[in-house]
This record gives sequence, C-alpha cells and structure tokens, in this order.
Amino acid sequence: MSPDVSVGSAVSAEIEIRGLSKWFGDHKVLKGVSTDVKRGEALVVIGPSGSGKTTLLRCINLLEDFQEGEIRIGGEAIGYTVDPNGKRMRRGEAEIARLRAKLGMVFQSFNLFPHMSVLRNVAFGPVRALGMPRKEAEERAAALLARVGLADKVDAMPSRLSGGQQQRVAIARALAMQPKAMLFDEVTSALDPELVAEVLDVMRQLMQEGMTMVIVTHEMAFAQAFAHRALFMAEGEIVEQGEPARLFRDPQSTRLQAFLKRFKQGYQL
Amino acid sequence: MSIDLSFLTRVAPTLAEGLSTTILLAVPAILLSATWGIVVVMGLLSRFRLVADIARSYVEVVRNTPVLVQMFFIFFGSGFAGYPLSGFTAGLLALVLQNGAYMAEIYRGGIRGVSHRLAEAGLALGLTPRRSFGLIVLPIAIRNVIPPLSNQGVLIIKDTSLVATISVAELTFQARLLADRTAAVFEIFFTLALFYLVLTAIFSGCMRLLERRLRLA
Amino acid sequence: MELLVKSLPLLAHGAATTLYLSAAAIVFATALGLVLALLQLFGGLILRALVEVYLYVVRGVPLLVLLFAMYYALPYADIQIEPVTGGIVVIGLYFGAFMTEVFRAAVLSVPKGQWEAARTLGLTTPRILLDVVFVQAMRVAGPPYINTCIMVVKGTSLVSIIGLADVTFIGKQIVERTLAPFEIFGAVAFVYFVICFALSRLGRHLEWRLNYVP
Repeated sequence: MSPDVSVGSAVSAEIEIRGLSKWFGDHKVLKGVSTDVKRGEALVVIGPSGSGKTTLLRCINLLEDFQEGEIRIGGEAIGYTVDPNGKRMRRGEAEIARLRAKLGMVFQSFNLFPHMSVLRNVAFGPVRALGMPRKEAEERAAALLARVGLADKVDAMPSRLSGGQQQRVAIARALAMQPKAMLFDEVTSALDPELVAEVLDVMRQLMQEGMTMVIVTHEMAFAQAFAHRALFMAEGEIVEQGEPARLFRDPQSTRLQAFLKRFKQGYQL
Repeated sequence: MSIDLSFLTRVAPTLAEGLSTTILLAVPAILLSATWGIVVVMGLLSRFRLVADIARSYVEVVRNTPVLVQMFFIFFGSGFAGYPLSGFTAGLLALVLQNGAYMAEIYRGGIRGVSHRLAEAGLALGLTPRRSFGLIVLPIAIRNVIPPLSNQGVLIIKDTSLVATISVAELTFQARLLADRTAAVFEIFFTLALFYLVLTAIFSGCMRLLERRLRLA
Repeated sequence: MELLVKSLPLLAHGAATTLYLSAAAIVFATALGLVLALLQLFGGLILRALVEVYLYVVRGVPLLVLLFAMYYALPYADIQIEPVTGGIVVIGLYFGAFMTEVFRAAVLSVPKGQWEAARTLGLTTPRILLDVVFVQAMRVAGPPYINTCIMVVKGTSLVSIIGLADVTFIGKQIVERTLAPFEIFGAVAFVYFVICFALSRLGRHLEWRLNYVP
C-alpha cells in the first residue's frame, strides 16, 4: 500500500485518478489526467469523439490498460501498484476481478447475455462472482428489476425487450453487485429517442439515492439538470471542469465554447 | 532414432517421377471443378424447379459420399460397361464431380453473402437487376470466394493422392512403391509429406497473390 | 440384383465397422480440437506456435499419406497397436486440426462486449468461457462442426486402402470377385449417404434447438 493514503481522507474519494496516461505508439490518447470522484458524486464527462472520455472511463475498471498513472478504487490501486523501488507491477487477475466487482458498468450496446433470461442475467454476477446462493441472488435480482420498472419482464429473454428495457436490465445487473460506483459509457447513444427518457429516469433515481457515478454522455440537458460536476475533455486532457450549469452557461475555454456551439446549432438552417 | 539424411536425396528423385503426374492431375482438376461449379450453381439458382431439384440432388449425393467410392464407381464401372477409362481419367472425373459440387456451394454462399442492400443500392441508382448483379454483386462475391476456393484447391491437390489406389503413378504411388521395397519408411513418407507441403504452399501463395491483386483493383 | 441381396450381410458388417471407426474418430477429433483451440486462444507463445505448426502440417498433407505412414511404420514401432486403432488415431489427428479451426472461430465470433460485461461483473476467464461464451460459441460452431463430422465419415473410407474391412473395402472385394461395380459401389455409396445425411439432419435439429428463443 502506498504510504500517502491517510485514514482521514480515505472516506471522501471513491475513485482517485492520478496522472493517467495512455498511448498507442505515437498517438497519446490520455495525457496525465487527474481527478477525484467523491462518494455520492455524479460526474459527467463530455467532449468530442477522440477526446479520450470513453478511454478514461474504461481505464477505471481496467477494461483498457494504461501505461502511466494510478487509479484507486476506495483507496485500493486497480491494475498496477508501484513497489518501494518505483517499479510498476501488474496485479494478479484475481485481484483485478475483485476490484472490478466493486464497480458497475453499463455499456452503450447493453451486452446482456442473450442465452439467459432477464432474471438470470441480473442474478448472474452475485451467483458466479460473489458466490451467493441462487435463490437469494434471484430474490435480489427480482427486487432490482422492480426498482427499474421491469418486474413483469422477469422471465423474458433479452431479445424480446426494447432497447430501453434492455438497458434498464443492464443497470439492474450492475446494481446487483452492490458496487461502490457505477460507470456509464454513452448508455443512451444507441437508443431510439423515445426510449432514452426511461433510462435517464433510472439514472436520476440512482443519483438521488446517492450512488457515485461517472457518466460519459452526449445528453447535455440531463447533465446540466442533474449532475454534480462535469468534465470537458479534448485531445486526452481535461480542458475545463466545474458545475454543469455554470459550464454550459459560461464556458471559459475556446474549445468548450466551440463544442457547445456545435451542439446548440444542431440542425439550424 | 537417427534419420539418415543422405537417403533423402535418393528418395526424392523416385518420388519426383510421380510429381508431374500429380500436377498434371491437380491443375485440370482445379480448373475443371471451378468451371463445372459455375454450371452447377446456375442450376441450383435456376428459376425452373426441375433444374434446381436435379442440381440439388446431385450436390447432396456427391457431398455425402466419399470421393474414393466415386472413383471406384467410375473406374470399375467404366471397365465393366465396356468403355474402360484409365485410372487418371477416372480419377480426374471423380475429382471434378465431387469438387464441382463443393465449388457450387461456395459460389452460392459467396453470392448470398453479398448484402442485398448493396444490390438494392444498385437498383436505386437506376440499374436493371441484371446489371446490378453483374456490376455490384458479382465483383464483391468473386473477392469473397477466393479464400474458400483456395481451401478447396488445397483439398483437390491432396485428393490426387487417392488415384494411387487405381494404379496411377503419381507421388503417393511412387512412395508406396519405394516403401514396399525398402525399410526406410520414415524417410520416404517424410519426403512425401514435404512434397505435398511445398505444393500446397505454392498454390496457397499464388491464391493469396490473386487475392491481393483483386483487393487493390 | 440377387447379388446385392446376397452381399447384404457382408456389406452390413462393413457398414458397422465404418460406423465404429467414424464414431471413434469423431470423438477423438472433437476432444483434440477442443484442447488445441483452447491452447491456441489462451496459451502462451510457445504452445500457440506448436499448435500452428501442427495445423499447418496436417492441412498440407493428404490423409492417405498419413495413413500409409502409420501403416508402414507400424511394424517398426516399439508399441504394439492394432491397425484399427492406428487408423482411428490418424484420422482423429487429421480432422482434429479442422475441428480446432471450427472451435477457435466460434469462440472468436462471440462479441467482445460479452467478455467485457462479464469481466465488469468481476468474473475470470474460465468462468466466462463456461457460462457466457460456450453457449454462444456452440451456436456458431454447430454447422461447420457437423460438416467436419461428415468429412470424418467420408475419410474413414481410406482405411480400405490399408486393408481394414470397412464397407468400402468389403465392396471392393465383392466387386473384384463378381464384377458388378454399379450395384455394389452404389450400395456402398448409399451406406455413406445414409450416415452423412442422418448427421446433417441431426445437425439441423441441434441448430434449431440451440437457436430457439422462447
């Protein structure tokens, strides 16, 4: 364990990101990104495509590797530790899996398991990763599905559900692991417009219940109305950050101004 | 167990006597199969129910019976019927009949595999269905079938070994000849395997060149 | 025609041998294919290279050559193996290579998102393979697997050349005695046709069952 984690501050930051860098050959995707996500904070990450926002999110639960920097979940470093000599060491697969279980992730393409019913999808994580008895896991799953408004779809197969319904199942599946924080990767981008609201409703509910969330999204109105903090990223760096309403109303950097302008213009002729 | 390497140089020439026959059999077999396959696939896709049914039955029978049995059928059958075919001819015929059916299925898969949306795009541009097929679907299908065709070609080259059983003096026949006379079986069959590996490697290499040419075109 | 009827018992005996050889070779090839596919997908560099070499050799050399090699080498081998067992092993080794490719392609066809979702829940590779990937891979592997099994059945006909009494060998013997190639080889072909056709029917049924979503 790194010696600079003091007991007093361990409670405040659920996710700590320090000097995160990632590159492919010459191309630097993330350039020394640092930020903290406090417990109960809903952080939104916005930016143009290629800005690294999705990569940043996927580094948090190590779906993507990073070459430099450190990420801590609840104080524990995920993926890599630095030993006393300063050498970087990758942690064991079992360790990584354990920390991943503390984070929930919801994907743009839902990624529900097509050969299992909705209930089994949601119960799967607790049964297989937490070793919970099947009956208990299914009770928890049923309760969660009721929470996201899908109590009547418990025995349905994923292919029978609409996109919005599948995404809500995906959220329930992540919640079943009782994660410390949830990661959302453009979860409404693949949905028909009329199905977006039902998913955003569930996310708003989670925010109000105090879940720590990192959300990569294009839904500006949602971010402005409900998120606690927003990060604007471009070309692998955090360009601007702050309270969403203030950020959108009064962008300081030219890049953010240009980005927002493109959004506001929409299809104006 | 030590392998006497010098023996290899004595084995190879005898085997090489069969090499020309192998190639002489494989090349026409591949070309004729590919051509016959076009005829068969046209039958499979025909509008006329009878033609399609005959083609389908032919393909099913040939695909579910071993090519060796087909060779025996043609070889012994032709002799019995009074028009004896040489082992070479019977073998060639059997190879073409068997692989033509497989080629036809490959062609069919290749055409199916081209998304019908692309054909629709052609129609939307104002092309007739025939031109849309010929200008859009066919070129893409041709590119798509090169890999499976290449596989089939390799299988044909390997299947030429079967004509050794009907006394055609190709590679495998020569190897067996040697093996019946000498004790150095490991060397003989090792060299034989090498011959086939080289043949199939050359063929696959040529097909990959063809693939690359077509991609860039 | 009465010749055909008289030959039936002999041919039936041969057919039984063909069935036995096919079944045994299929089992062996399937097991080998699964192991090699897993090695190719998850093994270290050396293991992967070894598997690649093996696949390359087997795919470039005719089955007949391998059978001959086994047949001629058998008298010199230290271990005493029956030709039948040798035939099954060689055929299994040969088609095991094809099976490897079928299984590998099937596993690779499962979308990456499935792996990621399972990892996100905190599962490790073996668990993910068993619970999430296997079922989805089987759906893809079904048709090419059955096709390879059919190739195995047809491949067993080559053991007739090294003197094993399968249905092709029996047929050839009868024809050499009686000179009735059309009826006898027709019957032999029919035996293979029935077995292979039954396999492809089975395959289509399995495909339907695996893909049926209630």
